[in-house]
Amino acid sequence: MAQATAVNIQNMDKYYGSFQALKNINLSVDKGERIVVCGPSGSGKSTLIRCINKLEDYHSGSINVLDTALDDNLDNIDAIRRETGMVFQHFNLFPHLTILENCTLAPMLVRKQSQAEAEEIAMEYLTKVKIPDQAEKYPGQLSGGQQQRVAIARALCMKPQIMLFDEPTSALDPEMISEVLDVMVSLANEGMTMICVTHEMGFARQVADRVIFMADGQVVEEAEPQTFFDNPQHERTKAFLSQILGH
Amino acid sequence: MVRTYQQYGFLSNIRANYFATRLDATMTLVFSGLILWVFWNLLNWGALNAVWSAENRDLCVGGGKGACWAVIDARWRLIMFGLYPYEEQWRSAIACIVMVGVGILSCVPWFWNAKRISVLWISGFLIFYVLMRGGFFGLTPVFEQNWGGLSLTIFIFASVSLIGMPLAIMFALLRRSELPWIARTMGLIIDIFRSLPLLAIMFTFAIVLPFVLPGWMIGDKLYRVIFGYALFFACYQAEILRGGIQALPAGQEEAAKALGMSYWHRIGYIVLPQAFRNALPPTINQFVITFKETSLVVVIGFFEILASGNAAFGTSEWSFAHVEVYFFVGLIYFIFVFALSRYGAHLERRLAVADR
Repeated sequence: MAQATAVNIQNMDKYYGSFQALKNINLSVDKGERIVVCGPSGSGKSTLIRCINKLEDYHSGSINVLDTALDDNLDNIDAIRRETGMVFQHFNLFPHLTILENCTLAPMLVRKQSQAEAEEIAMEYLTKVKIPDQAEKYPGQLSGGQQQRVAIARALCMKPQIMLFDEPTSALDPEMISEVLDVMVSLANEGMTMICVTHEMGFARQVADRVIFMADGQVVEEAEPQTFFDNPQHERTKAFLSQILGH
Repeated sequence: MVRTYQQYGFLSNIRANYFATRLDATMTLVFSGLILWVFWNLLNWGALNAVWSAENRDLCVGGGKGACWAVIDARWRLIMFGLYPYEEQWRSAIACIVMVGVGILSCVPWFWNAKRISVLWISGFLIFYVLMRGGFFGLTPVFEQNWGGLSLTIFIFASVSLIGMPLAIMFALLRRSELPWIARTMGLIIDIFRSLPLLAIMFTFAIVLPFVLPGWMIGDKLYRVIFGYALFFACYQAEILRGGIQALPAGQEEAAKALGMSYWHRIGYIVLPQAFRNALPPTINQFVITFKETSLVVVIGFFEILASGNAAFGTSEWSFAHVEVYFFVGLIYFIFVFALSRYGAHLERRLAVADR
């Protein structure tokens, strides 16, 4: 199968003031590939994923998403954001809109879909994440797990080619994590290009094509899950894995 | 449903809440006595001993114990319409009713979209202007200088709010601009306007502006004052809105950005609706203050309702009846401001549905 590149990051640096948050990042993600990014807190993994749709600026190097250069050109940024869905740790649903409106707003404004068309697509994805019956409710009336599934549906309604997940299960009560992971697994099985920042190592083992371990703003280790978990090369990786899997 | 508390009878409730201790009982008796005394006197003065109508003032002056509502009976047209020509006052009355009607209609959710609300307000202002100003359709022209009373108060309030609110949104957004020099300049302008007394601003716009502006930009004194007042309103309201915007979690704009929404879409559909909801209590507050401070236009010679009230007892014939006139004018202010406050409370309850 001819593989095309979805995301290509080269020699990318990012600073917060004088603090260098990301150091010389090189990462290439093929279409249809599932990447899990993990690492201790403060390692820059969230910053990295937020650079891919320019929620954060980067300062040197280059990022290409779907063969479009992510630079200061607003048209390019908009084009990339249209094709890149993102799911946040804290869901970030719009609390003043119903679940259905959360899902239809952007497709209607950005993709210029009619209301009927947008609602049909929204119901399709809400069914897929198993909450079509909540469509008329407001986000505040749903549980965390339900809200995160809505957030996934909202992103999917834009029909993106790439999905970014920024610690999607970290703010959830333990018993709700699996309902969100189930949705993500089924999405992975359909061939969606996914970059997930997560601490769910079971998920990484199950679906990831590659696991990337970051520490101190650098990519320390990059391997297939089998190798990564069973035979980590780097001391930092070993320490991290023993902490996260040790109990 | 299971009741988790003991239910008491009416009497035992009263005893438990108001007569539990000797101190409680004393305070209950003293204060309820005081309240009753005040209300009894008010009732006596305002209703039981009051003179409701009188052929002339002498019938009123003699009594002295009760209110003389005859002054309202005799002078209400001056209070309500100010200097507006007597034969044309029906126009002012209809204009006033139209404006209030537009205000009430814009509280109905059906009108809450850009098209309907602008059609409503533009036609409202047009009808108001044609009726008040005349010069069209065979109506005698009445110059702005002679407008007065309640319709002037309402006109000033409505225009200030309508010009001021879009300005406030613009100011708040500029104040939050990512370009530091724009944000700082806007902050400076807001701070300057807030540091000046409203009276000074009105005076400047009415008296000084004609000297510094080209002739075609001057317009009637009334509109200059309204514009100055609207700027003043906008500076306060902009800070209220900025507070509402800053209360939003950063994730809201990020989520909208991640969905590819443009700046104006983010502002219009995500940021402002939530900012207005956050800022609803102080916004209603601002409207209430704005309504009441319309009375300041008297300093540049306009007879809004309070000034017309002053004129109503300003003759030697009725000069003793200022309390009654102020009471009447106060009642009119009360009706408007109280309705506004209750509507604000209703909106808060309505919007709170989404916050559960």
